[in-house]
This record gives sequence, C-alpha cells and structure tokens, in this order.
Amino acid sequence: MTIIKTWFGEIELHDDKIVRSNVLKADAAAMAMRLQKEEFADLDKQYRGRLREMAIQLRLVTSEHDYISLLRAVAIQRAKEQITTAFARPDARIMELIGGIDDIDESINLLSERLLEWDILEFEISRPGDLTETHASQSTTYPALQHEFAESIERLSELRKKIAGAIELEMHAIAPNLSSLAGELLGARLIARAGGLESLARMPASKIQVMGASKALFKHLQFGAKPPKHGIIFQHPLVRGSPLSKRGKIARTMAAKLAIAARLDFYSKKTHPELLAQVEKRARELYKPAIRDQT
Amino acid sequence: MTIRTHKVAGVFMLGSQLATKGEALYGEKVFGEYRLWNPQRSKLAALLKKEENVPLRPEQIVLYLGAASGTTVSHLANIVSLVYAVEFAPRVARDLVRMSEHLKNVVPLVADAIQPDYGHIVEMVDFLYQDIAQPKQAEIAIANAEMFLRTGGYACIMIKARSIDVTAKPKAVYKREVKKLEELLDIMCVHELEPFYKAHAAVIARLA
Repeated sequence: MTIIKTWFGEIELHDDKIVRSNVLKADAAAMAMRLQKEEFADLDKQYRGRLREMAIQLRLVTSEHDYISLLRAVAIQRAKEQITTAFARPDARIMELIGGIDDIDESINLLSERLLEWDILEFEISRPGDLTETHASQSTTYPALQHEFAESIERLSELRKKIAGAIELEMHAIAPNLSSLAGELLGARLIARAGGLESLARMPASKIQVMGASKALFKHLQFGAKPPKHGIIFQHPLVRGSPLSKRGKIARTMAAKLAIAARLDFYSKKTHPELLAQVEKRARELYKPAIRDQT
Repeated sequence: MTIRTHKVAGVFMLGSQLATKGEALYGEKVFGEYRLWNPQRSKLAALLKKEENVPLRPEQIVLYLGAASGTTVSHLANIVSLVYAVEFAPRVARDLVRMSEHLKNVVPLVADAIQPDYGHIVEMVDFLYQDIAQPKQAEIAIANAEMFLRTGGYACIMIKARSIDVTAKPKAVYKREVKKLEELLDIMCVHELEPFYKAHAAVIARLA
C-alpha cells in the first residue's frame, strides 16, 4: 500500500492499482494555494511516470492536453505568487535605492565634467588667450542651454540627497547594526553586493573583506598576484583613513565585525552599538607600536 | 535565401541562420513564420549550429534547469511537446512566466534545482537540459536525472568552466565534469561552444 501526494491530490495505491483518492477540483487558484501551504515529499519514479494517466483515470481532466493546460495554469499562478513574495523582501528596496545612488553619482560626475569642458570652450572663444580669468564666460552662445544643463546636475544631487534619506530610514529598520558600524550607505552597498541581507549574513568575513575587489582577487588566485586588502569596505573612514601598512589589518577586523553585524541584523534584530567601538579599539592597538617606533 | 531543415525536426536554417517556427516573444528577428535563433544569445542554438546530431525530437518532454528569462525555452517549446522550465531567480523568473503565458507547452517553476522540490509536479521526462552556472552543476544534473529522467532518455548539460574553477584550464574542467557525469550517464559527445561562447562546452549524454 502506498499513498502518494501529487499536485492534483492524494492517491492511495495497492499493487499499482488506485484504491482510494482525494482529487482536488480543477481550480488553478485553489491548487496553487495548496502547493504553497502543504508539504510535499518526493514521488517514486514509477508513479511519477503515471501522473498524466492517473489524473485522467481519476477524472480530474479528460485528456493529456487538458492535463497540461491545467498544470500550466496552476504553475503560472504559483510562480506569480512566489515572485511577488520574493520581491516583497525588505532588503530588495534598499538594493534598488543604493543602485540608484551609485548611478546618480556616476551621472553627476559625467555631466559635471562635460559642463566644465563646455565652460572652458566658451571662455576661450569669448576671451582668447586670457588664461588668468577663471570665471565662467559671460557671453556664451547658448546661455539658456548651459544654465539648464547646470540645473539638471543640481537637481540630480537634490534627488541623491532624498534617496540617501530614504536609505537611512530603511537601513535603520532592517539593519541597525550594519548602519551603526558601517554607516547606512556603505551598509546598503554591502547588502546590495551580497545579493541581500541573508546572503551577507551567511558570508564569511574574508569574503566581505574583498567583496568588490573581485578583479584583484582573481588575479591573485589565478596568477599569484598580491591579494587585495579591501573591496568596498575601503569606503569606511576607519579603513580609508588608516596608513597603508595598517590598512589590511584594519580591513580584516572591520570585515569580521561587519559579518557579525549582518548576522545580528538578519537573525536577531537586537542592537549592539559596541561593535564600532571594538574596531576603533583594535585600530588604536595597531597604531601604538607605530607611535613608539617614531619616538 | 534558401530555407532548409536542420537534422533536428522543428529547426530550420535560413541561409546560415538558425530559426524555429512560432510567435516572436522577446524581440527576435522574424521572417514570415520563422523566428531567428541567435547562437550568441542561446547556448542551445550555438550547439545546434555546430552539431546537427542532437537527440531532440518533437514528442519529447523536457526538464529545463536554469531557464532564465526563457529565450532558449521559447525556441525549445517550438521543437518539443512540453517543457518544464525551472528558474530560481525571481527577477528573470518574472520574464519567464510572462513568456510562458504565450506558450501553451511551457510549465514554469520557480524552484531551486539544487534542492529539487518539484517532485510532485514534474513527470518523468525524455530530455534533461541544464544551463546553470554553478560550481556543483554536475552533481545537480545527476540528482535531477536520477529523479526525473526516464531510462533511455537524453541529457544535454552546458558546462561553464569559468563558474566551476576560474583558475583551471577550461579543457581540464570539462574533463573533470564529464567524469562526474559518467557516474550516472553515458557520455555521447562533448562540444565546445567557441566561437559563440568562451570557455563553455555542451555535454550530450544518455541514461542507460
């Protein structure tokens, strides 16, 4: 006697013959709901090969064609629900927002450079040879256009501020420890790089340390170049501000604490404000012998 | 332009370009009822361009692991009778589902091929197609073949050497992966997908 549980219902078999069954109504929405709510075990190969046949025998459907169209409707319904759930993760929005900030930064740099070059050109045309004057020219050919160009850059940086504010709010809600240790923006960048807070929480510290330096890391693994000291955690003031000789050590400590912070945020949500102080303490210890050397 | 049939039924050669017949779904070029199939966008097209003896038949049921946005799936659906398309990443699964709504013979599944939890949905299949860039892709192929591939069925596994071991030579990686696959499957042939894909190879195998 075997009981099998399929997407369209439960079937009890005896000597490969169906003795009892509980088959659902051919309603795609209800069937998709059941797929989500209930647990399913793996089927035995011999029964898996008979799914169509049994569905027809049990009068769920009347033909193989109908079997496929019902199964397809159920699967599409279920897939849509799964996709919606996946998008509703709280860190998904943070990842979009920080991506937006990075894109805006890139655009602002690009546009500012262009505007500067444009200004210089107009200046040279209106006052040839006068290299002492550094102000933008008064008489450009397209003053309105140039003004609008500058304004657009201005507007982008306004937008950037607003997005940064939104990230701060979201980060405080879902990753308080990362926010206090790394700052909201760097914390968000780490989450985005890792592909979510859960992935970051599951990452070893060593990987967090070099995340964003994959080119250097693979050069190291493939050709034996020097390993990178830091990836995007370089953006942290404690890492960036440290002397070159200490930077690797501080990056390592920082990565270790970031890993702890991410795990606290994902698994417990309790805040531990002492993490940053611990990294700072380690940094001070590292500096001590260096100071002694100098004296 | 001359139109001839490919050895795989349902696939056509328009001059030197691959095509299948069906509704255009992702912005591909169309000639009448033919949809062009770009070998730079689909590893299966790259394989079919290089090798005509691929055991795909019109009556087959296919389990497709790593369906992504469904570019290849949509062409495969023009060739075979039914495709179970598994994709894990929600962003691309979204495109896959949208495409499935136009294809009467595609069953989209948002699931992880590493832990196949679609055993109560997918029936036994004649063909296992795998295109996932995963270090453990050979193991994943074997696990899925054991569960879903019927005896005498075929498997086509696209190996991406760069996601298995970046430091090793691609050829060495193929060899190692083929050896793993041999534990369950009989290897029929291995084709590198140059010049369409760098460091990729297609393994065609059979479950005895």
